[in-house]
Amino acid sequence: MTMFHFFNCAILTFGPHAVYYSATPLSEYDTLGTSIKAAVVYLGTALVKLVCLATFLKVSETDSFDPYQEFLKALIGFIDVAGLYFALTQVTHRNISQNHKFQAVGLGWAFADSVLHRLAPLWVGARGLEFTWDYILQGVEANANLVFSISLAALGSLMWLRKNKPRTLIPIIYACAGLVATMPSITSYLRRGLGWHLPEVVGFELFTSLIMAFISWQLFSACQRPSL
Amino acid sequence: MGMDPNRRCSNRLIVAESVYPVVALAFMLFACFELCGAATVVDVYRLIQYDISGAPFGSRLAGINHHASSLSFAPGSDLSRSVLVVPLRELNMTFVREYISKRQPLGALLFLLPQIFSFEGEEGSGYVSSVDGEVDLLKKLLVELEQFLIHATIPYPVYFGFEDDDIKAVLADIKKNDISGQPATATTGGYKLVVSVSEPRKVASPVIANIQGWLPGLKSDGDSNQLPTIAIVASYDTFGAAPALSVGSDSNGSGVVALLEIARLFSILYSNPRTRGKYNLLFGLTSGGPFNYNGTQKWLRSFDQRLRESIDYAICLNSIGSTENELFLHVSKPPDNAYIKQILEGFSNVAEELQMKVSLKHKKINISNPRVAWEHEQFSRLRVTAATLSHLSTTPELFEQTGGLSDSRKFVSEAVVAKTVKLVAESLARHIYGHKGKSIQIFADESSLAVNPSYVNSWMRLLGRTPRVAPFLAKNDPFVMALKKELAEHTEEVVMQNDVLDGMFTFYDSTKAQLYVYQVASVTFDLLLLLVIGSYLIILFSFLAITTRGLDDLISLFRRPPSRKVKTA
Repeated sequence: MTMFHFFNCAILTFGPHAVYYSATPLSEYDTLGTSIKAAVVYLGTALVKLVCLATFLKVSETDSFDPYQEFLKALIGFIDVAGLYFALTQVTHRNISQNHKFQAVGLGWAFADSVLHRLAPLWVGARGLEFTWDYILQGVEANANLVFSISLAALGSLMWLRKNKPRTLIPIIYACAGLVATMPSITSYLRRGLGWHLPEVVGFELFTSLIMAFISWQLFSACQRPSL
Repeated sequence: MGMDPNRRCSNRLIVAESVYPVVALAFMLFACFELCGAATVVDVYRLIQYDISGAPFGSRLAGINHHASSLSFAPGSDLSRSVLVVPLRELNMTFVREYISKRQPLGALLFLLPQIFSFEGEEGSGYVSSVDGEVDLLKKLLVELEQFLIHATIPYPVYFGFEDDDIKAVLADIKKNDISGQPATATTGGYKLVVSVSEPRKVASPVIANIQGWLPGLKSDGDSNQLPTIAIVASYDTFGAAPALSVGSDSNGSGVVALLEIARLFSILYSNPRTRGKYNLLFGLTSGGPFNYNGTQKWLRSFDQRLRESIDYAICLNSIGSTENELFLHVSKPPDNAYIKQILEGFSNVAEELQMKVSLKHKKINISNPRVAWEHEQFSRLRVTAATLSHLSTTPELFEQTGGLSDSRKFVSEAVVAKTVKLVAESLARHIYGHKGKSIQIFADESSLAVNPSYVNSWMRLLGRTPRVAPFLAKNDPFVMALKKELAEHTEEVVMQNDVLDGMFTFYDSTKAQLYVYQVASVTFDLLLLLVIGSYLIILFSFLAITTRGLDDLISLFRRPPSRKVKTA
């Protein structure tokens, strides 16, 4: 019975990645290699981040929200952006269209993130006898995270790969990218600074991820037009 | 485990954020997470499991993994896979009797006792007089329940636990479910109670340890062995429905404390040659009391004939700590026996001064009956004059009044114990020093020979929280060693005699366990969840496919003959 629950949560957590890959044209163009490369880059980034966190952050005794520490954490969080930049620009991919490239990178990125952050607690926790909503919410959070990753990758590809884009949109693109990149810090603030509970935080993440996805999509299509 | 759970969980969150990428570490924490997962963990104490000459008694199983159910279960429902949680306050004895003796199927039984019977709780809440109506009723009920369970054979696990806020909340939830007609089963969720212990094993050759110490009298000329001896004896072990809860404060913690205090008082007198009496004093702490005073029998058998004959008389102390002012002197020799008369007179005289009453109870010994109800009967069987001083007026049956569940520290008054100590010590001293009939107070209050209340108190406290069921005491158990050391403080030639409990009894271990209470979801819920997630993924798939490739593409995806899939695979 509990294995069943684990199975359910695992589908909720990792299913959307597979669905995204198979439902969109990504599968037709065989972009799996790109995704895997992005996942590897994510692994490297996570390692660097871990080292930075261990070096610069104090282990807080209390559970309070310390702005200085959180600022440092947010700064370290930008290592993710650097990693994404690396994955998008430096890693050589087979000739695939820019359109698919960012999707594949974002997908690989989100999947690696889910595997690293969610698989172990899921395996340990969801198989236990005790029932909590936590693992279901965590699965929903993984969905939001997928949307965020793809949005960030889309904005990144706009920033770094597309040369001719409307000048008026550039500040908006950077602002949105910054917002998405600081999202982990924002949720951390909500959780610990304002004491939100997990369902509220997840709801917020889901809501903002959809908005960000919509904005990124609008920006992307706006940038697409002049090139046509 | 001292941290409060919220803090622990949040710490876990922080750890999770930074460490989870190292998956291996998470697996190392595996065990910890498994245990943290439970809603509540409570200590539970298993009903004793034992055999008498091969006939099984008590609870025959230990492991539980069932859903919880309360007394308000729907009539006729199948409880063979449920744990019935029964608070003592709501216990209906006839129901339990009927349920158990009819051998109705049940997963397990968990009795919740009020905190007043707990030996671990806070100290100093004071002596609860047995006049207190509600508590008295509960105590009587518990005694009845205990006696019934000890002599029943129950083919499923039976545990005792104590009421606390967590378990009360769980119980309230269970009741609500039961009343609403949704008894907890695999399909409806609810609470699951888990005790994971291995199968109980037989306790290999239970040891009983008797401790003896001497206060040799003053020999006028020749060997001190020729002096007459007075023996003071108390059995220190207990027996009860839950071995890990059988602390026996009254039976026979009070007797042990009294013996130690008497030894201390006389050691002061005997340390000075001028006040040393012309009697040897023999102190004996015996084991095996609930088992027909098996230890006393072995102890007496180990004496040589000369020593046995030198014993003038023996005073056995048994359950002297709870009823004020009335004590009974149980004897097996006829009341008109000269020695008995003399002992009774000695006690009665002092008792009058202390505003107490000692009356004689005579019960003949039936040699052919293996049951030995009083400790002095073991002496009498070997023709040694002996009497038992106790507040019990009736002869207990096997495993009755042996310091079980209800014999909590809170029902014993140190003042009563101290008073009895004074009674026994005073009458002994008058006998030893030949002041019979004179009202001379040797152990007067406020004197250097006064009974020390704090000594009595501290030993009562130790005994009141040490379960002492003989088969579960290790060979050199710290408690037994402490008793020996204490006796050695006051007396000489302290010897511990280890013997094997007679083969009639076999005991099984795992007396204490931890009960994990899990709140579980039902299979129905999981099925529903699967359905929801499945449809979500299908909708997501269709949405993505339609937006990125168009509807036609999506439809053509399903139109494709399945043979193509086989080829690619």
